[in-house]
Amino acid sequence: MFEVFREEVFGDFTIIEYKPIELEKPSFALVSLPDAGLVSVIGAWHIIKTLNLSEVGGIDSYIHLPPVAVISNKLLRTPIRIFSSNTLLIVYSEFMPSQPGIVQLSKLLANYLERKGIDYVFLMTGMPIPNRFEIEKLRTFYLATSQKALELIKSYDLIPFENGFFAGPYAVLLKEFVKARLNTVLLLTESFLEFPDPEAAAKSIDIVSKIVGKPIDVKELLEEAETIRIRARDAMRNVVRGLAQMRKDVEYAPPLYT
Amino acid sequence: MIDEEFEKLFRKIREVERSVKDFVESEFKRILDSVEDVMHIRRVLSPTWYHEGYLRPLYTVYDRGSYYEILIDLPKVDEGSIDVRFQDNLIYIRARLKEEIRFSNWSGVGGETRFHEYREVIEIPIRINPEKVRIQTRRGLVKILVYK
Repeated sequence: MFEVFREEVFGDFTIIEYKPIELEKPSFALVSLPDAGLVSVIGAWHIIKTLNLSEVGGIDSYIHLPPVAVISNKLLRTPIRIFSSNTLLIVYSEFMPSQPGIVQLSKLLANYLERKGIDYVFLMTGMPIPNRFEIEKLRTFYLATSQKALELIKSYDLIPFENGFFAGPYAVLLKEFVKARLNTVLLLTESFLEFPDPEAAAKSIDIVSKIVGKPIDVKELLEEAETIRIRARDAMRNVVRGLAQMRKDVEYAPPLYT
Repeated sequence: MIDEEFEKLFRKIREVERSVKDFVESEFKRILDSVEDVMHIRRVLSPTWYHEGYLRPLYTVYDRGSYYEILIDLPKVDEGSIDVRFQDNLIYIRARLKEEIRFSNWSGVGGETRFHEYREVIEIPIRINPEKVRIQTRRGLVKILVYK
């Protein structure tokens, strides 16, 4: 079992902290939910492993998450896990909540990160492209929700996401984080939709590590890319149907009015 | 007067026809959705690995108008061993892995099994003519184009 330092109920979700979470300034958060190419999940997993972040809490819901208990190193954990270091907090989930659950979870995270005094939030995910099979050099697009967030990333080799549609769990997270006035940076790296894409994850991690100021070597991730693609197969398969229900195909449509 | 009555009668008949047609279509759709749900549940509940040592790869099928594009993810595959065969509307894939792999840090049969091969059968909506098929392989991905 795990020791509960603090437990908080937020709608149909429960947030548990195993120990006090205190972050130094400037503090960063990365929210990782399953989406196109599992870019965020693979990226967050690699950051947690490389920086050896400690598990400090978790989030659960009997209504919006599948009835899953995660066992890690003989300890019982929640489906959504929270890791942190002195300046970085990562919310990590391999399980996609139900559609109404994503809305509630986004509101919960917006509230929680604001109370934790997080200065900047990163949302990194994949941008599915139909010709990913042919592409080797991937591009990353960005969207910053505030001037402060824009200052953070303006000197990096990124393309602004100026017009288009964006669907899925990250669309909901973005909307709630904007409402909560969190300085949020959305990073969209070209990727597969339905296959795990460690190369896209590596591209995103490169950018995050430079901004956060913590060196995160992606060489091991790229060397292990094929193993990760095998290991993430079941997780990817479970995600694809949820993405179809969330109208992920909308991203392929050009907007009529811009 | 009689004409009016006949007109009303025919109008009623047409309304009934329309209602029956709508009902049949909605019931048909409901049945198709149930079948799709059952197939999905079967597929979702079956794992992508088997204790005999083979993996089922991820794949997608796209209808591109004049052809179907099937993309199959085969990481760590020995590209020289990829075997693709066609029968009717089925595609049989077999390929050996470059090396045996095990899923580390996983309790149970899944973590103990050594995997050495991919196997899958993919169904597409049309009968395949092997002479109208193109196959490309790149970085552990196989793209099969089946022309209609």
